[in-house]
Amino acid sequence: MYYQPGEATAYESMRYLTTKVPFGWLMRSVHCWSAHLMIISLVAHMFSTMMLKAYRPPRELTWVTGYIMFALTLGFGFSGYLLPWNKLAFFATSVGTDLVKSVPVAGDWLLHVLRGGPDVTANTLYRFFALHVVILPLLFVGLIGIHLLFVQRQGMAPPIGQKVAPRGMKFFPSFALRDLLLWLFCFMILLVLAVFLPYGPGIPGMEWELGEKANPLEPAFPGIKPEWYFLWEYQLLKEFPPHLLGLEGPQLCLLVVTLLLGIWAIIPWLDRQAARNEPSPSFSDFGWGAIVFLTFLTLKAWDIGGLQPVDSPASIKVISRTCAWWTLGLGAVIVAVRWVVYKHRWFIFTGAALLHVALHGLLGLSYLTAGAIAGLLAVIAVVTRVLAARRVKATVGASP
Amino acid sequence: MRSETDQKPTRRSFLDLLLGVSVVAWLGSVLYPVFRYLKPLPQSGPVGPTRLTATELTKLEKDGFVIVPFSGKRVLVVQNAAHQLLALDAKCTHEGCTVQYLAGESVIWCACHNARFDLDGRVLSGPPPRPLPRYTAERQEDGGVVIVGERTSA
Ligand code: FES
Repeated sequence: MYYQPGEATAYESMRYLTTKVPFGWLMRSVHCWSAHLMIISLVAHMFSTMMLKAYRPPRELTWVTGYIMFALTLGFGFSGYLLPWNKLAFFATSVGTDLVKSVPVAGDWLLHVLRGGPDVTANTLYRFFALHVVILPLLFVGLIGIHLLFVQRQGMAPPIGQKVAPRGMKFFPSFALRDLLLWLFCFMILLVLAVFLPYGPGIPGMEWELGEKANPLEPAFPGIKPEWYFLWEYQLLKEFPPHLLGLEGPQLCLLVVTLLLGIWAIIPWLDRQAARNEPSPSFSDFGWGAIVFLTFLTLKAWDIGGLQPVDSPASIKVISRTCAWWTLGLGAVIVAVRWVVYKHRWFIFTGAALLHVALHGLLGLSYLTAGAIAGLLAVIAVVTRVLAARRVKATVGASP
Repeated sequence: MRSETDQKPTRRSFLDLLLGVSVVAWLGSVLYPVFRYLKPLPQSGPVGPTRLTATELTKLEKDGFVIVPFSGKRVLVVQNAAHQLLALDAKCTHEGCTVQYLAGESVIWCACHNARFDLDGRVLSGPPPRPLPRYTAERQEDGGVVIVGERTSA
């Protein structure tokens, strides 16, 4: 309503909005807070779906539509980030879009299409504006329709081992009222946060002070970081050397991330045990492993425990060690709770992720070497375990 | 019955081929304009030797470096401790952030993923896969600075 995309107007209209327009700051604050809370709740929703195996047939496509919507939500965050045209936005978009040039064959074309030219300019601003307010919302509305239709048609997933989900209450008035109450509760939390912390909680990657206007002719400033949900990716980019296995670092990084995300997308088809309505502890463990992996990278990107100057090799060592201890602590809690409360006995992936962290942070191996060792061990462990299970099944089957 | 493999071309297979070709052609004629539409035309701007403006010169004196537009690129002009002029592409070869000159360490630094280059553009540390391209910058008689062009040889 007040925002005007354009090199000479975007930043200025945002400043006008936050300083002059009555309650403009509040509207912006609510917008930013809801964006972050939306991502937080989606992450929680996705992991809980993962752990409860609610993606079991016939609900595979519900998982996939949810997955795509999560990606779109990150797209919302990324495209919205550029629109105020401030310094942070400019560099975040430069780096974020530059990654697509590593895509084989189509990379250059994609980069030009995304940026509206070889560099981030006002053209990029127009394109991102269109994405943020037209293209993504249309896609999102369509997908959420499909997602909800699936949920409506197929009902809630019953807990593993049971045939039907426990019956709920009547929709009207009981459920509707309860929903309304929950909605009100969330709305109040949002408002309280927006009013008392209008520029975010001040965690790096979760603040939205307008700052200075973007200037393509100024160098990137020290301590520049993306939003918190992209921090792991940012840190991963840092960990890759210039060249490895005949590829450039960023290319290999993109490849690894694509592979991991690809696996995540097709989990419903990989998890054969859950498909048979049996517990599948290996996939729960995979989910927890992913959490450990993301946590360590994010903590490290926050420079937790860093010395001055933060970027010096000595400081980076200390950061790796401190973050490793924090992650190992978290990992120990996860393993203990799963062992005692949920009686889980499957820890290969979590174990490998923790070993990776320990080898890198405590023993000082490079991130990738540590990862390769841990990954290899995990593969060996999984194969042995699967073979052992086969053998047990065979003997059980053979005995009368 | 004849086996499938040694069939002669029949009317049906011919029609199938025709259908296939026309579907491909149709898709091509629909998608090609879309592909071309999405990729913008190259922007034309001034090319060739560029003289630094007065403000840019003051910045160069004050900070030891300045970033100036040159032939559609951004070029980092550095004046090192020995008062030599050096010019390099300001776009980091890693993920395209804008680099800067650290006078204290006499290196070029990219803040985005903590990469260091020497003044010849070679990577000293950090993830960038390639060196920064170099340019020629010259000091004129009247004290002005002109960026002449990209250096081809190392
Ligand atoms: S963009 Fe320069 S180091 Fe990554």
